[in-house]
Parts: sequence; structure tokens; C-alpha cells
Amino acid sequence: MGLFEKFEKTAALYNGLSDAGRNPFTVIMEEMLSPTRASIKGRETVLAGTHNYLGMTFDSSAIEAGQAAIAAHGTGTTGSRFANGTYGIHRALEDDLAAFLGLDHCIVFSTGYQANLGAIAGLLKAGEDIALIDADCHACIYDGCQLAGVETVRFRHNDPESLDKRLARVSPDVKGKLVCIEGMYSMFGDIAPVKEFVEVAHKHGAYLFVDEAHSFGVYGENGRGVSEADGVMDEIDFYSGTFSKSLASVGGFVASNHREVDYLRFSASPYKFTASPTPANISSAHAALKRISADPSIRERLWENVNRLHAALRQLGFHLAAEPAPVVSVLFKHADDAFSGWHALLENGVYVNMAIPPATPNSMSLLRLSVSAAHTPDDIDRIVAGYTAMANAVPAARAAG
Amino acid sequence: MAATGEGLREGGIQEDDDLVFRKICSMLEPLNQVNVKLTRDTDIVADLEIDSVSVLDIVMDVEDAYDISIPVNVISETRTIGELVDAIHKTKKEQA
Repeated sequence: MGLFEKFEKTAALYNGLSDAGRNPFTVIMEEMLSPTRASIKGRETVLAGTHNYLGMTFDSSAIEAGQAAIAAHGTGTTGSRFANGTYGIHRALEDDLAAFLGLDHCIVFSTGYQANLGAIAGLLKAGEDIALIDADCHACIYDGCQLAGVETVRFRHNDPESLDKRLARVSPDVKGKLVCIEGMYSMFGDIAPVKEFVEVAHKHGAYLFVDEAHSFGVYGENGRGVSEADGVMDEIDFYSGTFSKSLASVGGFVASNHREVDYLRFSASPYKFTASPTPANISSAHAALKRISADPSIRERLWENVNRLHAALRQLGFHLAAEPAPVVSVLFKHADDAFSGWHALLENGVYVNMAIPPATPNSMSLLRLSVSAAHTPDDIDRIVAGYTAMANAVPAARAAG
Repeated sequence: MAATGEGLREGGIQEDDDLVFRKICSMLEPLNQVNVKLTRDTDIVADLEIDSVSVLDIVMDVEDAYDISIPVNVISETRTIGELVDAIHKTKKEQA
């Protein structure tokens, strides 16, 4: 009995939503119809809540590369990167990712979550080092700090001055200081002032770790991320990213100009003790990387769609969390209203993500629209029509709701 | 965030236990939607129904009010207001 008591409150909410047939956390995509359409409850629905920013899930070159990799290398590696799970294709992707980023070294992990978990836990030592993390950092950064068992201090979100104060308080006995931020934050779609963070971190002799999971391929002249857009690619210390968003596969990576980053290959448990990415994952990610490197018009299409959708939602009077970005979140004070809004959108053929505290900043609930370069003009019309219907069905969705 | 560290700085580091306790209560009160009486034994998450991230946000206000850094690891081991007050005193002493 005792083991399950802690779940009672959350289970009541979860089961209540399921009973009402409106649980955002149990949606099944019965069939994928295109990069931006799926069948949900037997009905064709526009996908506006994926991380398919560059729309690469059905890219023909990525599909062919994935199929060819299975034929050539098999379905799985049956081993970790540290043992028998490193193939030539893993190393080749590491080399090309490093070249794409203009950084010297890159290590591929099995997921983006594990890349952050492994890098942070692998770099930091309990009792010697300290982690300073942005208050809105993703769970995997918190988990990495926890796995390291290292002293962890939060600073105010996107506030270099708040970091400055906390770095100034660090005891001189501490050996290594690692500051963790993200490029674009996935809940609100807001952007970090990376350049200012570089200056503050380095002033105090700290290293800067930037998670660009949501901004890789999307920001900067070459798609290297917010660090590139801010002109500090060669000044940040560690860069992490994922294959599961703009590259439409599964896997993650950490890159750096510090040659010592290679030590993670023996110090990071999430690198050593889990199966390496499958040949299909590696080769489709690699093909997608080549596509987005060679064709900047994909990124341009994304931004055109971002600007159109952000303007349309602003026009409708929603309380938007941030300036135009591939994540466009509508904020709600009350989770109940967000649930109603989410349901109204789905009823109108539009799927978005829903998030509630404590997964969200400032105790707000939100509906997250993720824009894709693959959204067609018709998709966008349907999304805007869905939000218009939702605004009418849920009055609290309009400004300050 | 309803509570802020502004206006709470003047107390300085010599404040006694009771003043730190009162300061924490003044920060928690705006979030006390279930209207329970705040005592040293009040469980911040369970009794006040405040989510764990909001507690961490309040701690940043505390940090700025007292010019100390309280690690997340320390917060995760505190449940009650009294334990948080004790953690602040301990950290103030260590970082003085």
C-alpha cells in the first residue's frame, strides 16, 4: 500500500482527465500521414505540437539513409559506445557535427537527455565542484547535477546579474564551476543572452555549458544555434544538442573546443552503460544534418511560418510567452482553462502540447505550439482557425487569461 | 512571482531566528491559498499546496535578501518552514 500512496493526488487528476476523454498526456498518434498530419481518434489532425522544427521526419534522403543503414549495419548495435557499440558511422557523424558547429570535438550519446545527464555528471565531482544553473533549465540538467551529487545553485532565469552575484559568493575552495543555460527555452520559447553569460562566467573563471536542443538548426547564420546568433560559438565551453528535434531522429551530442571533453567517454555513465544509437538513428540523423547544412531555405521557411503564426495568435489576443520563436506558447493562469483550451483545439483538428506546473516557469500553464518548416499554408490556416475557435470556446484564453 | 526580496534587505545578517521565520512567512503568505496558519512545523509543499519549483523560486528571493546561496540539494532536504529557517541560519554562518 505505502509504495503507491504518493501517487494518489496526481493519479486522481490523471484518471479524471482520462475518464473525461481529454487527457493531453495519453494521446495516441494512430497513423502518421505526413510531417505535419496524423490520425488521432480516427481523425486527420494538424500537428502543431511536435519538435519537428525543420520538418525532416519524412525527408527522402534521411529515410533512404536509415533504410540503407539497417541493411548494411543491422537493426541494433547490442552494446554501449564504451564497448562494442561504436561503429564507423557513429564516429563519422561526430566528425561532421563538430565540423558543422565549427568546434573541435564531439561525442554522440543515445539521447539528448543522456547527453546532458552524462556531460554534466561526468564533468562535475561531488565535494569539489559546483553547478550554477538557470532556474528554467530542463529536467535533464537538474538530473545531471543530481547524478553528480554536486552542490547546485539556481540563478534567476536569463539574468546574468543574478549569476554574477552567485558566482561571487562561491567559496575559493571550490575547484570547478560549471554554468548551465539553454539557447532557446522549450516552454516559453524565449532566448538566452548567451554573450552576456559568457562574459560573466569567464570573469569568474567558470565554464559555460549551453544546451541548444531546441535551437540547433534553427538559430544563427549557419543554424548552429543561439550561441552562433550571439557571435560567441568559439567562446562557449560546452555545447549540447539532440537529434530528436531538427534532425528528426533519436540521439544527442556534446561538443567543445576543450580536448578534455573526450574524457567523458570514460567518465560519463550515460555514455558507458546504455546501448549506442541504432544504425538507422545515426544514419538518418547524418543525412538530415547534410540536408540542413546544404539548404538554408528550410530554415527560412520555418521562420516565415513562425512569423505568420506568432502574428496571427497575437492578433487573436492571446497572452504569448515570448517574441516570435519556433515555440509559440499561450499562457493561462489556471490549469483548468489550459485543459479546456487544449481540448477545444483538438476538437478543431489541431494538436498542441500542454504543460502545467511544476514543469512550467512562474506557475503558469501553457499550450505550446511548435512551428515546423513543413507546415503548409493549409496547415497554418487550419491552426489559426483552430485557435480562433478555441479563443471563442475558452474566454480565459485571451490576454492575461 | 508574488513574493520578492525587495524591502527585506535592511534586516541584515544579525537577525534572530524569529525574524528570519517572520520573513519567510511574509514571502509564503501570498502563496498561501489554502489559508493555513504558518508555523515552524508547516510542510511547505504538502500543507500550503505550493509546487516544488515555486519553493525553489522563493529560495532565490531569500538568497537575494540575505546575500547567500542555498544549494538546491539543501532545499530538497527541507520540508517545513522551521527546517528552511534553520538552513538559512546555517548557510549564513558558513558564508559569513
